[in-house]
Amino acid sequence: MRQRRIAATIGLYAVYVVLLVVFLFPLYWVFATSLKTIPELFHSPPVLWPKVPQGQNYNHVLVYTPVVTYLKNSAILVFFTVVGTLVVSIPAAFGFSRFRMRFSRQAMLGVLMCQMISPLVIVIPLYNYLNRVHLLNSYFAVILVYIAIQVPPTVWFLKGFLDTIPVSMEEAAWLDGCNRLQSLVRIILPVSVPAIASATVLIVIESWSQFIVPFILLNSDRLYPVSVGLINLQSTSDVISTHYLAAASILAVLPVVVIFVVLQKFIVSALTAGSVKG
Amino acid sequence: MRNARALPWFVPLILVVGLLYVYPVLDVVRLSFTNAGLLHPGYQYTLRSYVDMLRTGDLGQTLWITIVFVFFSVVFQLLLGFFISLAIIAGEQLKLRGTVVVRTAVLAAWAMPGVMIGIIWRMLMDESPSGILNFLLSKVGIGHVAFLSSPSVALVSVIVANIWRGTAFSMIMQYAGLKTIPDELYEAAKVDGATSWRRLVHITVPMMAPLLMVNLILITISTFNTFDMIMALTGGGPGRATEVMALSIYDRIFHTYELGGGAAMAVVLLVINLLMAWVYMRMSRRTEGMTTS
Repeated sequence: MRQRRIAATIGLYAVYVVLLVVFLFPLYWVFATSLKTIPELFHSPPVLWPKVPQGQNYNHVLVYTPVVTYLKNSAILVFFTVVGTLVVSIPAAFGFSRFRMRFSRQAMLGVLMCQMISPLVIVIPLYNYLNRVHLLNSYFAVILVYIAIQVPPTVWFLKGFLDTIPVSMEEAAWLDGCNRLQSLVRIILPVSVPAIASATVLIVIESWSQFIVPFILLNSDRLYPVSVGLINLQSTSDVISTHYLAAASILAVLPVVVIFVVLQKFIVSALTAGSVKG
Repeated sequence: MRNARALPWFVPLILVVGLLYVYPVLDVVRLSFTNAGLLHPGYQYTLRSYVDMLRTGDLGQTLWITIVFVFFSVVFQLLLGFFISLAIIAGEQLKLRGTVVVRTAVLAAWAMPGVMIGIIWRMLMDESPSGILNFLLSKVGIGHVAFLSSPSVALVSVIVANIWRGTAFSMIMQYAGLKTIPDELYEAAKVDGATSWRRLVHITVPMMAPLLMVNLILITISTFNTFDMIMALTGGGPGRATEVMALSIYDRIFHTYELGGGAAMAVVLLVINLLMAWVYMRMSRRTEGMTTS
């Protein structure tokens, strides 16, 4: 028995090492590349770690590329997307959870249907329309589409959570003279903080990654979020500046990676909630 | 009466869905039956886009590339996700250190923007003498691979990068599913003398089957819609070897300015999306309690 346990432990650690190499080496390689000199970029065999790490590559990127602007733009888009998505989703999720309505199930399935539609399909006519009325490059339009993409999964997730809160908690408040809105704000929202936090983290990560919407609806370097900015840098840079592209990439994902590592607990619960009968 | 009282709660949702889903979807269907161009406003209604798409074989070629891409991505994401989640759960049961580190490392790939995944793999698949993947392969006796410049290899490269990116989602879904299987089932099987292989085949797999189906459909839909990762990795090339549906739609509208033609291709993608959504609803009704994530 003991021997089997040891064998299993060794086997599992072997699997873990392989997984860590497969999933972390690509990230390590980008990081190492971001610190290389130009000769090291072209060295054969490839240089695993630069002799003298070139921290000034990051300076160069910060000064000579608009990466800071991209980061700022992404932050603005993500912030308003989070606020807007919650403003739309919380009342709807509450309504689906608390009111007995005809066609409630059909409406929920309709919302789910929206989630399955490729953003590209809805962006095409919007581009055509905004182009005609000269409203391309409008953050307002872009944020609306971001919100529309995040609303369906958020409504489903929050509805699933609200279903687990007993109505009896609200009934006490109604006896004290609260109406539905007041009981939502005073009773339901405070106990929903963890679920709203999970939803928020998911919205942040997915909106930060959003590419196709800004790629089509924006066409000014000043307005690009990081995803579009990176593709722009990639297409304008050549092999001789790969180290700068690597450095810009690292800067572009740093915020989500930090959020991801710090708030991993919320992400795992948000991704798995609802997918499994708890 | 009751519905009227509930209505105010749904006003924002109805506005968002109406303005940003219902209207655009109807409009894209309408545009697909026109010869509209992106640059000039006039158009006429015609079936031309659909006829041309079939006649030139464009649709067939794009569908074929997309289906190969989706099939291999999805099969390997599902299998690897299952395998990794089993390995992590087994480690947790033995109270090994490092299971959280492994889980985090796998999930990190999922949290990255698709564009970043494309940029990373393009650096790894560098075909010059300083390319790291070719260097590592040469160490195990494999000759130079034209990862991104050979049409047939490029599709495989794109699939590999996509598996790397998407495995985490399947892993975390199945990890949550595995945790809900009651321990008593395994204990009882052990008492009956079932080997760990038999426990996997007779308990784990049947218990997980409904969740695996839901998982399969969700990743199939998202893989059909892939755009950003391939855009950064190959841009659809070489030639059109890795041009999946979303890239083909983009190319038609923004490079050759055929709004009608692009819309027609978009309608095909839309139909695929809705078919998958329908299958998903059928499945999740049978496994009540499973929703979305």
